Amino acid sequence: MSATAPSSALARDLRLLGVAFAFELRKVTAWRAGFVVRELMRSLWRPLVMIFVYRAILATSDARIGGFDFPTMVAYLILAASFEKLLFHQRGLDLADQIFQGYVTKYLTMPVRFFVLALGRFAQHLAVQSSVIAGLWAVGSLLFPQWWPRAASASAAVEAFALVLLGSYCAFLVCFLVNVLAFWLEVVWTLSAMASFVFSFAAGVLVPVSAMPESLAGALRWLFPYWAVSAPGELFLGRLGTQEFVRGVCVLLSWIVALELTREFLWRRGLHRHVGAGA
Amino acid sequence: MNEVLIEMRGAGKRFRTWKRREGLGGFFVNLFAREWTEVAALEGIELEIRRGEFLGLIGANGAGKTTLLKCVSGITPVSSGSARMFGCDSFALRDEHKRRLSMVMGQRSQLWWDLPAIDSFRLLREIYSVPRSDFELRLREAAERLGVADKLQRQLRNLSLGERMKMEIIGAFLHEPDVVFLDEPTIGLDLVSRETIRRYLVEINRARGVTIVLTSHDMEDIEETCRRLVILRQGRVLFDGGLVDLKARTYERRAIEVHLEPSSPGWDAAFEPLLEPLGARLERAAPLTLLFSVPAPAVQRFVPFVFERFAIRDLSIEHHPLDMIIRQIFQQREGGS
Repeated sequence: MSATAPSSALARDLRLLGVAFAFELRKVTAWRAGFVVRELMRSLWRPLVMIFVYRAILATSDARIGGFDFPTMVAYLILAASFEKLLFHQRGLDLADQIFQGYVTKYLTMPVRFFVLALGRFAQHLAVQSSVIAGLWAVGSLLFPQWWPRAASASAAVEAFALVLLGSYCAFLVCFLVNVLAFWLEVVWTLSAMASFVFSFAAGVLVPVSAMPESLAGALRWLFPYWAVSAPGELFLGRLGTQEFVRGVCVLLSWIVALELTREFLWRRGLHRHVGAGA
Repeated sequence: MNEVLIEMRGAGKRFRTWKRREGLGGFFVNLFAREWTEVAALEGIELEIRRGEFLGLIGANGAGKTTLLKCVSGITPVSSGSARMFGCDSFALRDEHKRRLSMVMGQRSQLWWDLPAIDSFRLLREIYSVPRSDFELRLREAAERLGVADKLQRQLRNLSLGERMKMEIIGAFLHEPDVVFLDEPTIGLDLVSRETIRRYLVEINRARGVTIVLTSHDMEDIEETCRRLVILRQGRVLFDGGLVDLKARTYERRAIEVHLEPSSPGWDAAFEPLLEPLGARLERAAPLTLLFSVPAPAVQRFVPFVFERFAIRDLSIEHHPLDMIIRQIFQQREGGS
């Protein structure tokens, strides 16, 4: 085996990633209605409803929840919605379906790491959602300048974005893992829906984690969803500092390592079990 | 031509499954005490496939055809014995080996439903590292030969079943593989599409020496493309040999198909003993069609026999069709076992 083999394999994976990205982009835009509903509108309605809920709760000007007054809460909800859109979600992968119905079989005879194709989906998701969010922020800050969140500093914005990207990768790995369970289980979509609900709560999409009881908030700070949505939101608004950012990076990297190892293990075990059902 | 590309030695594949007891009581028992059983999908398979062969793999549903393809192509590991391709364990094929093989599942599309086939082909080009110029040339040539050159830009879901399958075939051959597995590629296709696909496969097998393993329930597919036949039954190889050899076994018999007038009396079980002295057998009896297998020397005596008993609209005498030969093999083995 030559010493250049790993680097050429990496170069091949990167080239394939580029093509897979373009392929996924074509797939996601193949249906205009599907694109508008799934890609543009996803994750927008819940925070919009929560704005009205908080309007009722924080009716007086001095009312606070965990240090958030109403304008800060609105800014936080806009940030949470934007960050949640960037996070990879359960409907982004149809791997479980492919395993159940035997379509994944075809990839097993190809000279390709299946994960690279899935990564193409992840890259497409980030690209599309970043564009959507950029458009949303441009329109939103023009129409609602008094409510739209402003970054405490340029570095706070960069740090927040970095945490969201790492968090999104964690979410992608969790989606992949839940899908791979289809090698063993028939209840993957139920598990996926449950995971999504837990994720929304732990990420602080509806209620900022810092506004939750301290014991619960302390526990959630060890989980990656908090560092993917709630913490970046507070970093952006200047409610958390660089020290917290560093902690967030460490927690997220630890999660990525653990999830990557689990993914590799489950994928290999799953393939050994695979019978290509129905194919 | 002599190089062995695929080799199975005593290969077996067993699946573990649990028996689902019926009823509500069975449901509760299943929760706490499962009764596991092992199903042998393949047993003691001995098989060698050489470069350039066109092999037909046939058998009833559940005979193990697709499982055999999966084991030999590395999709699933064998439970016992060995399955090797290109000299390597099939389940541990490296990328350079996988570049030399291809698989088409007749009921599982390789191409993306919502996109034109050309988009999926471009992804395949990258996966198999096909140089751009080769890709364009091969694509154009295959699309023209299969008559779908003007359909490449059309969304796959808007193509007919036959056109979709032709696209699958194009995708399978784009990287010029050495071995191609085709699992029921003509299922549900019309006559013209089937013929086009068969002709293309035969041409490419002859021109490039591609080894092709074809499973099909359509005996015409097998007869018009394959030179060697492997018959599977309950996970075991029942017959492995040349199609010509197989036909020669029953060369001394003829298939006589009798089409009756609507007013004619039909087949009666009382006629059975009358067939025995002639060495004839009734193979199939439909209301207005009877199919007999008759020894060649007895044909002269058999024809008057049927004319005496039935009002006949038409009658044909032919060598045994392949499906009848195969049915006989099954019957002989059942009788022998």
